Order: sequence, then structure tokens, then C-alpha cells
Amino acid sequence: MGIIPYIVVSSILFICGIIVMIARKNIIAILLGIELVLNAAALNFVAFTKFNNMNIDGHVFALFIILVAAAEAAVGLAIVIRFFQVRESIHIDSATQLQS
Amino acid sequence: MNMFLMIIFTLSAFLAVGGALSVAFAKNLIHACVYLLFSLIGVAGLYLTLGAEFVAATQLVVYVGGVVVLLLFAIMLTGGSNLHHVTSRFGLESTPLMGNLRTYIMGIVTALLLIAVLCNVLQGSISASAVVESKFSSTVEQIGVKLVTDHILAFEISSVLLLGALVGAAIIARPYRSSETEN
Repeated sequence: MGIIPYIVVSSILFICGIIVMIARKNIIAILLGIELVLNAAALNFVAFTKFNNMNIDGHVFALFIILVAAAEAAVGLAIVIRFFQVRESIHIDSATQLQS
Repeated sequence: MNMFLMIIFTLSAFLAVGGALSVAFAKNLIHACVYLLFSLIGVAGLYLTLGAEFVAATQLVVYVGGVVVLLLFAIMLTGGSNLHHVTSRFGLESTPLMGNLRTYIMGIVTALLLIAVLCNVLQGSISASAVVESKFSSTVEQIGVKLVTDHILAFEISSVLLLGALVGAAIIARPYRSSETEN
């Protein structure tokens, strides 16, 4: 089993993430799409590190990707909750001003 | 042994791909979040077949235990999924804020363009990859040594990043009224 099946799976994850990020109008749904894209990237790192260069740098990169995704989710959801308190809406098109 | 790996790969790939497609096309936001959970579990299984047990465990702990629960909390704090379907004049049902046919077409076109570009970029690496199954395993010890020798700067910076994210999230999401009384 070569690298091709992993590339196909991670491509489908990436496609679904991009579709979610562009098609949805809900800010939290867009965050779900970002998580999918980050997972596709981490899966690519781990797959290429097994089949191409045989060291574990890719694993370390995948760990850092998971870390950054967790931090991004925390701050992003805090911003979403604050935005909902101010605007009573989570439509992406109603986020047009930096200051309420 | 190879057969076992094949079964795990098939199950995990099915879970990951099906979960991702369901996230993309689910009508209900909470359902999409739960499908994301299945997709993340599938990706953890794929890590297992790639010999990355520690990354798989971290994926399960951080994503499935942390991020998805956080997303569910945020969905419920912002009103949950108010399900009043809107029927357009063509008889198509749609849920507000979850996209319509036009935005889906735009998303699919953009994703296919990006995938075409990425395939062009990655062509050399994919064709240069080894097809033979090499004996490859990574232990927690190896990853730990790597983290505190080669990647020590990124390791330390990531601790500062986590602290900043924690404090920043707590400050941003504090109750709305207290900021008015302070000012």
C-alpha cells in the first residue's frame, strides 16, 4: 500500500473543508471547515514522512498543527461568542465593523 | 499483519471521508459537528496505520476530547440550530445560514482548482515516494528527544502561544456588561 490512498483521503478532506468554508454563512460552520483543512495538512505530513524521508519530523509537525488548531479554536470561538453578544447574530455578512 | 492494516485503513478511510462529506452537506449545524467527530476519529485511525501512535493518541485527546466539545458548547451558547426550513419558489428546502446551491457550486469550483494546483506541486514528491513497506516506527521517546533537541525553539514558543491563547480567549469572551461598567 503506497502513499496514493492517503493522498486521496487527505485531498477529499481538504476539498470538503474548502467547500464548508466557502458555502456556509455561519461563523461556527466555517470554523468546522478550518478544522478539516488542518487535519488534511497534518495527515499529509505524517504520510509523507513515512513514505518519503523516513524520519519523524513529520510527526512533530503534526503535533504542532494539532496544538495550533486547538489554540485557534479557543480564540476563534471566544471571538464568535463575543460577536454574538454584541450583534445577536452569527451570520458572516453581519461582521462588517471592527467596533460596535 | 498486512491484512489487519488493510482492514484498519479501509475502516478509517471510510469514516474520515464519510464524516467529511457529511460535514460538508449536513443541514443541521449540531449534526455537522458530530460528523466532524467521526471524521477526526477516522483520521486518528489513519495515523495508526502510518505508524504514528503518539500522534493518533494526541489527535484523540485534543480534537475529540477538546476541540469538538468546545465547538458544541459554542454552538449551544450562540442559540443552537434554529431549524426553520425555508422553501424557495422552486420548491427547494434550505436552512438559513447553511448555504445554498450557488455557494456550494462556488465552493466546489474553488476546491477543485486548489486541488489541481496542489497536485501539480506535489507530483514530484508523490512519484518519488517509496512504495515498499519499510520497517518504520516512532516511539514516544524518539519524539520527545526530537522535541527538546531539534525543535526546542518551536516547543518553547508553543508554550507561550498556548498561554496567550488561554488569556486572550478568557479576556475576549468575558461578559458583555462588565466592560461597560468599567469604562
